[in-house]
This record gives sequence, C-alpha cells and structure tokens, in this order.
Amino acid sequence: MLKIENLTATVGEGEDVTTILHGLTLAIPAGEVHAIMGPNGSGKSTLSYVLTGRAGYGVTGGTATLDGADLLAMEPEARAAAGIFLSFQYPVEIPGVPVMTFVRTAMNAQRKARAEEEISAPDFIKKSREIAKMLSLDPEMLKRAVNVGFSGGEKKRLEIYQMMMLEPRFMVLDETDSGLDIDALRTVAEGVNALRSPDRGMLVITHYQRLLDYIKPDKVHVLARGRIIKTGGPELAHRLEAEGYDGVIAEAV
Amino acid sequence: MSTAALKDLIRNPTVAELELVARYAALKEDPRRERLFEAFAQTGLPGRRIEGWRWTDFKAAVTSLDVPKTAPARDPLAREGVATLRFTPAGYAPPAALPAGLRLLAKEDVQAMGGAEDAPLGALAAALSGGRTPGTLLVDVSAGVPVHLHMVFEGPGAINAARIVFLLRPGADLHVSESHLGGAAFSTALIEFTLNNGARLNRTVYQIGGAGEAQAVTAIIEQDAGAESVQTTLAFGGKIARLETRLVHRETGSKATLNAAYLAGAGLQADITTHVRHGAPACITRQLTKGAVLNGGRGVFQGKFHVPRTSGQQTDASMQHNALLLEEGAEVFAKPELEILADDVQCAHGNTSGALDAAQLFYLRQRGIPLTQARAMLTEAFIAQALESAGDLEEALRAEAQAWLNHAA
Repeated sequence: MLKIENLTATVGEGEDVTTILHGLTLAIPAGEVHAIMGPNGSGKSTLSYVLTGRAGYGVTGGTATLDGADLLAMEPEARAAAGIFLSFQYPVEIPGVPVMTFVRTAMNAQRKARAEEEISAPDFIKKSREIAKMLSLDPEMLKRAVNVGFSGGEKKRLEIYQMMMLEPRFMVLDETDSGLDIDALRTVAEGVNALRSPDRGMLVITHYQRLLDYIKPDKVHVLARGRIIKTGGPELAHRLEAEGYDGVIAEAV
Repeated sequence: MSTAALKDLIRNPTVAELELVARYAALKEDPRRERLFEAFAQTGLPGRRIEGWRWTDFKAAVTSLDVPKTAPARDPLAREGVATLRFTPAGYAPPAALPAGLRLLAKEDVQAMGGAEDAPLGALAAALSGGRTPGTLLVDVSAGVPVHLHMVFEGPGAINAARIVFLLRPGADLHVSESHLGGAAFSTALIEFTLNNGARLNRTVYQIGGAGEAQAVTAIIEQDAGAESVQTTLAFGGKIARLETRLVHRETGSKATLNAAYLAGAGLQADITTHVRHGAPACITRQLTKGAVLNGGRGVFQGKFHVPRTSGQQTDASMQHNALLLEEGAEVFAKPELEILADDVQCAHGNTSGALDAAQLFYLRQRGIPLTQARAMLTEAFIAQALESAGDLEEALRAEAQAWLNHAA
C-alpha cells in the first residue's frame, strides 16, 4: 500500500536548509498498522509532513507511493483525495469556519476529485451524529469554529472525528496521544480501531508505548537520525519503553 | 460668474476638472451652489498633495469623463416591495409608492452643507446636483414603524452626482440600503443624515465599480441624544473609489457602529475613510474594517477618532482594521488615528496586515480542499465579522463576497 524508498528530505530554506530524512525506507501493506518510534529530532514529524506535502519541506531523493501512485508529485489536496489523512500533532485553529461546514466542504471536495457524488445534507448529519456520539463529542462543539477554544484533548478527538468522517485509506497519526488523559486516549483509540480494515493502512507516530496498548501495531520501527534503524513486533515498543532509545540506537550503529 | 472666472477657480486644472467646471457652469445659478463648488475648487479633484488623499489620488485617476464601456453591475440588494430611489446621469426616479412614515421633497435649489471644505468630493456632489436630478432631495422620516428604503446609483453616463438629505425625527427607525453600481465615468454622492433624539439608522452600503470608473460616496451623520447608527459597507472598489463617512456624536448617549469590508482585485482600488468626532460625553463608537486585496489591487483604510478635551469625556470607542494581502503585489495602506484630548475615556485600536496563515491553508488542503477554495474559505471567514451588522442584508453581501472570492482568490 504505502511504499517509501530511500527518501531523503530537508527542512528550511536558503542557508537554513537541514537534511532531516537520510534515506528512509518503509513499506506498510494494506490491512496493517505500523508504529514509528524515535527520539526527538529523529524526523518523525518531518516524515508525516513530507508524505502530506506541507510547504517548507524539500524532497531531495527517493520515492513515496500509495498503491503505486507517486505521492510526492501531487498537491496536498490531491494526496488527501487519494486517501492520505494526517492527524496533526498540533491541530490548527480556523476562526470563522464551523466544524461541520469545514468537514462537509472537505468531504465533497475529495468526492469531487474522485468523480463521486456529493454527500446529501441528511446523510452527512446522520453520519456526523453517529461519529460524534462514539467519540463523546458534544454536538454543539461541531457548530463552533474549527479548534477555536478547544482543549488539547478536544482537538485530538476532533482530528479523529474528521478521520472517521472522511474515511481515508491511509492514516498517519502524529503523536495523537500527546495531551490526552487516559479516558480520552481510550476513546480516541476506539475510533482509530474502528477504522482498521483489510484495505486500509496506518502509520502511528509516537514517543510512548502507552498508545500502542490501545492501538496494537503489526510492526514497530525505530527512527533515528532520519532512517529506520530497527524493525520488530510490538515487543520492540516495550523494550524501548523499558530501556530507552540509547541501547537500540547503539546496537544499530 | 464669468466663464473666465470659472476657469480660474481651479489652479492648473486637468481636462477632467475643466469638464466638471463646464458641468457646473451649465447648472442654474445659485449662491449656495457657488459656495459648494468653490469649496471643491480649493483642492480640485483631491490627490496625493492633499492630506487624507495621498493613497487615493482622484486627480491622477480621473483622466477623462468619457462614458465608460462597462455597464452598471447587478444590484444584489434590490428587493421586491422596498421603495427604491434611482439616481442616474439621465435623472432621478422616485418610487411608485412611499412607505408610511416617509416623505420626499425634491428641491430644485441647493441646500448649504457644513464642513464642505473637509469633504471636497461631497461638496462637488452637492454642487453638481440639479438639472435632471433634484438640487437637494430631502427625505423626512418620522417615528412609528420602521421605514425601509433602497437607493440605487448607476450609469450609464459621464457624471452621476446626487445629494440626499435625511432627517430622522425623534424615535424614527430607518433602514436604508445603497447600491453604488458604477457604469458612469465619475460618480459622486453626498448623503447626509441627521438623527434626532433616540432615532435609529441602519445603513447598508454596497459599492462596485469598473476598472475605468471613479466613485465617491460621502456620508455625513450627525447624532443627537440616544441616537444610534449601524453602518455596514461592502466595497469592491473601482479604478478609484472612496467611501467616506464623517460622523458627529453631538449629544450624550449617542452610539455608532461603523463596519466595512473591502475586496480589491487587480487594477482596482477601494478606500474606506471615516472621521468620528465625539462632541458630547458618554458616546460609543465601534468600528471594524476588514479587507482582502489581490495582486495589482489597493486597499486604503483611514480612520480617525477625535475626542475633544471637555466634550469627549466618558467616550467609549474602538477601532479595528485587519487586512489580508492575498498575493504578492497586493497593496494596503492604513492610517488609524486617535486624537484623544479628554482624559476619562476608553479608546482602543488595532491594525494588522499580512498574508493568509500558511499553517491554516495546509490544514484545509490536507483535508482535501483545493488551494483556491481553501483561500476563499479562509478569506471569507476573515471578513465575515465585518458584514454581520447588516442584519437581513448580511446574506446578500456575503454571497457577493463569496462569489468574488471563488472567482478571484
């Protein structure tokens, strides 16, 4: 499904360009959930932004494809329509744009890009109600401006709400656990797990093993200095939690 | 006045100014008209040498008064059942029926105008009104039921000048909308409102002009005790367009809301200028102006609060201007000015201009919203607050802003 090969990428412009990804290779087949763990500055968030096409990140080598389609050649909105969804580490506030308007506009824009029909207003509202209920989101919140005045936990839940509404084929969760208490973490994980299916893939970026107790990965990768230095099963996450990154990184060198 | 004397009225006149002189000379002589034209002639078409006109240079922009090829724009504020006054270069059309509480008096002669020297294009509108249009159109609004009135200013033609003087009797409630639709080479309208005790004015202004057209809309509002005005403007500019409001709180407890949004595309300029004088204690002014400008467009905001030492005590006033430069090459000039001489006042102001937030844009695009649509959504959200005060007409204004944004941004 998602294939990343020998990806090198930079951040910054002009004289401030720094290479963050140094030949990253990773393959996530459909139906699998992979976790990426790594110390601060290892390139975790850079990877999520490079995959989704954020400005300010430059790809200097390698490829990233989704079902064979060249992601790196597409505009961010085309990548979204192709099925990539990023749950942001820091969701952005959009004053003046109500959540429902925003999500419906996004949904219909994606559908249009895929030559599908728009969702009807009643269908949209029904779906929104069901998902809000599952995530314990106050329906009143969905009438307010996107993320404006939301707590950290509410913002993260709203990311998962959007994800469930848009039903992407490939999900990147960038530190979705940060800022969540244990109850919110459980709710969010339930939402994420509800989307697991044989034709979907998922990349879970996290610092801590805790999230992986709720979202069980098929594989765990360790990212350090811009490349995958070790891959294992869920037990690798436990080992990192117990021993820290130093040992694993030292072994790999 | 002799023809030679007329020619000397304006120093080094431009071709357009000579045509304005000729237009004036063709109208019936009237000492008040003469005084008003002289007030205009002191500056001529105001331009960059005149304080307050540095960024909105009519002298340079109005090069000819040939009838433009562009037709007047569609009127989004036209409503069935609302009495409509139409002002065109060909004449003035009163409504078929007048609502209760409203009386019209079309006077042939010109009425004096206070502060004519401070508003040269307003003085010009007053001096050139007449002939096919009334010299002064008096509108008397009495208390009782809310009165709704719509006014249209449009071409085709060379010069479209109009002057309307409203008197809102104590307790009157007037909802007036104005559509300045262009189609004339040079349009100038002077609209004066006197709000007696406890009167309410709700004014909604829509302005749109072609890339070859100049427009000026000058409003003078004077408010007595407890009077309240709410003004909402949506301006798309023109080759050059100035929407100026001069408001005086002249008795205690008067309140004014002055909101405006401007959207200026390539080759177009929109100027929102306001002057508010807190001439009585404990008056309130709330002002919000939002703008968005494309490459080759220019937005101008000039806001002034004048709070005199003795009469302006307990003033409560705030002024906010925020502009978006949607593309490289967009220009915004802003001059917020607080002249506060009283010591017991609350006055706040804020002024920003910048580009759309890159993080917001990316967030929308990551959800699948194409760049142009994402820009339009964010810009609409940005300006929307300034249109909220239009009440029933908010939707119509927003739809025009939306159409512009989806088309241009």
